[in-house]
Amino acid sequence: MLGILKRDISLLVSSKQTILFMIFYIPFLLFIAESFVPEYMYFMILVFYTYMMSIMSFTYDITGKSKYIMNSLPTNRKELVIYKYLSIFIYLAITIVYAGVYLWIIDTLKLADVDYFNLRGIINAIPTVMIYASIVFPAYLKFEPRIAQIINMVVFLSFFIISNNISYVGDKGALKYLGMIKWEYVMLLASTMYILSLLLSIHLYRNKDI
Amino acid sequence: MDYILEVKNLRKKFKNFTLDSISFNLEPGYIMGFIGPNGAGKSTTIKLIMNLLKKDGGEIRIFGKDHEKYEKEVKNRIGFVYDENYYYEDLTVNTMKNIVASFYSNWDDNKFNGYMKEFDLNPKAKIKTLSKGMKMKFSLAVALSHNADLIIMDEPTSGLDPVFRREILDILYSVIQDEGKSIFFSTHITTDLEKIADYITFINKGKIVFSKPKDDVLQNYGIVKGGLDILDGNIRKEFIGIRETKVGFEALTDNMDKTRKMFGNKVLIERATLEDIMVYSVRR
Repeated sequence: MLGILKRDISLLVSSKQTILFMIFYIPFLLFIAESFVPEYMYFMILVFYTYMMSIMSFTYDITGKSKYIMNSLPTNRKELVIYKYLSIFIYLAITIVYAGVYLWIIDTLKLADVDYFNLRGIINAIPTVMIYASIVFPAYLKFEPRIAQIINMVVFLSFFIISNNISYVGDKGALKYLGMIKWEYVMLLASTMYILSLLLSIHLYRNKDI
Repeated sequence: MDYILEVKNLRKKFKNFTLDSISFNLEPGYIMGFIGPNGAGKSTTIKLIMNLLKKDGGEIRIFGKDHEKYEKEVKNRIGFVYDENYYYEDLTVNTMKNIVASFYSNWDDNKFNGYMKEFDLNPKAKIKTLSKGMKMKFSLAVALSHNADLIIMDEPTSGLDPVFRREILDILYSVIQDEGKSIFFSTHITTDLEKIADYITFINKGKIVFSKPKDDVLQNYGIVKGGLDILDGNIRKEFIGIRETKVGFEALTDNMDKTRKMFGNKVLIERATLEDIMVYSVRR
């Protein structure tokens, strides 16, 4: 699994597309969502970055040509799928550090009102990325890449719309309802989805023609 | 006998193609050429051996072990080279090597560096900047640097010029000097195999036509040339494939002795090349 992680990080720093995404996504989010509460902006950044990095890594091995190499190396499909699911936490950790530094610089330079570390944001991001991975990963394994990308886009946009609504400051926002949902229940739901999705993905990938 | 690779009644069905219960074996210390026209099932067979495709039936044993059950263990002892570059184009040769090396328990950096020098590969070069031939050499260096006992190659010489091809064949020949190692090598460039293969397995339309020692194949198969006057329906059936022109015929036989006895000096019989065997068998 260390080999795959090494590969993923090497790819992350060697691809121009990924570097551009890493650099410009935070300013982009700050620009389009000026009215967001800093705490939710932080939460959204964590989720977006983790989600995008996980999906990029996932599609390299599932839909890209390099899937032939990865599956010819001494590893097996169960391990690959387990790694993909566990890697979302690694990406979340990378994002916390990266976004923390990035947002700290923005905050220090007083470019915008942002949180660069917020425990509640992190705690909320965990079940959120778990739920996303649980929906999108099996879709990539089950369907052809085009359909999987559509599902990915739907999930991604849904998150954006829901977050936008929750984060909107004012009476119309859904922020006031958020306190009614207990984090423990959300985490229980996320964990159940995550485990079921992992088992489903192992089954799907084991029987898939690469 | 202990085979390094055993394929028994292997089946795989697609919408427009079926790999139909194919069987063959490869012993340690030999090179097996896997020939057949495009679409015959060569790449499908290799993907099934590498467990990239899931088989519908049959058995694949590598080093005497089931290739699915012992996938990790088996793949640790396999070196693979595919027909095109599937490595990450944005990475450098050295970064890619480091990634691949971390998967193998027997990775030998000295060996890899030796090949890098021999192949004149720059470790700092990005993979996308390498020519097709250099990419193939990189793949070969990776395949040969973890003390693999079985090298599986899918059309490694296709699209390469004769100088590159000869270099690759020479390297394969030197690999096989270690008697415990074997090479399974698919190609449609049959002249490559005439130089280095010990066994030939010929596949056509998803079925094995033969799997025999190369010398047996080249000894028994012949091209028969003669006039149209000796041809009739029964005679035509004696041949594997036949090409008739206005002035005569050329046909492939798999039994030169029988053909000699049958026609005496009415025909000219020459040894068939692997290409002749492939072309006439496909035309059948």
